[in-house]
Amino acid sequence: MKSRFLFPYWCRYLGWGLFLVHIPIVLFRKQLGFEAHGPDDGLLSSQHVFFMTTTLLMAIGLFLAAFAKERIEDEQISQLRLDSLQWAIYVNYLLLIVSLILTNDTQHILFLNLMVPLVFFIVRFQWKIFQNNRLLKRDGDLR
Amino acid sequence: MKNNIRVERAIKNITQAELAELIDVSRQTINTIESNRYVPSTVLALKIARVFGKPVEDVFMLEDED
Repeated sequence: MKSRFLFPYWCRYLGWGLFLVHIPIVLFRKQLGFEAHGPDDGLLSSQHVFFMTTTLLMAIGLFLAAFAKERIEDEQISQLRLDSLQWAIYVNYLLLIVSLILTNDTQHILFLNLMVPLVFFIVRFQWKIFQNNRLLKRDGDLR
Repeated sequence: MKNNIRVERAIKNITQAELAELIDVSRQTINTIESNRYVPSTVLALKIARVFGKPVEDVFMLEDED
């Protein structure tokens, strides 16, 4: 079975690489001379460009890691991916609705919305794969 | 749906890994099908039956709740 719209396997490493690169940059943004991005910063000001670059690094990194092919792509993996996507959308909208009711901090809601579906999808998908591998090991290659 | 892939494999004397390779899926997929955690598509069910040289109904059976 052909899985369409997936990146090649190696893209997962590129994705994690981009994501890991973004973490120290964001952690040390004060030392690098960038404060948090605020609404007062002009479009394409250095703050805005910094915010845009780091967010894109993170989002593209997670995106590649989430939607890279598995080593063996078959229909069972496609099914797991679909299930995990459904879960991710459910969780995302639940959090979105709760945060819309409880806060009016739209910038953080946007940020949450950017991360949650991908992160939850990756965690759930990889957890299921890990479970399958563990069960395979436990059952052994029984004859 | 239940299946007797494990029995058929024993008759044919092939491992999960060998069956997986024959029908181009992962070992995990064969394992999930054997332990009834995944219901294969019609295509995959037919491929598995072909490996054992039997009609698909001899390998996969409907259960009452299906």
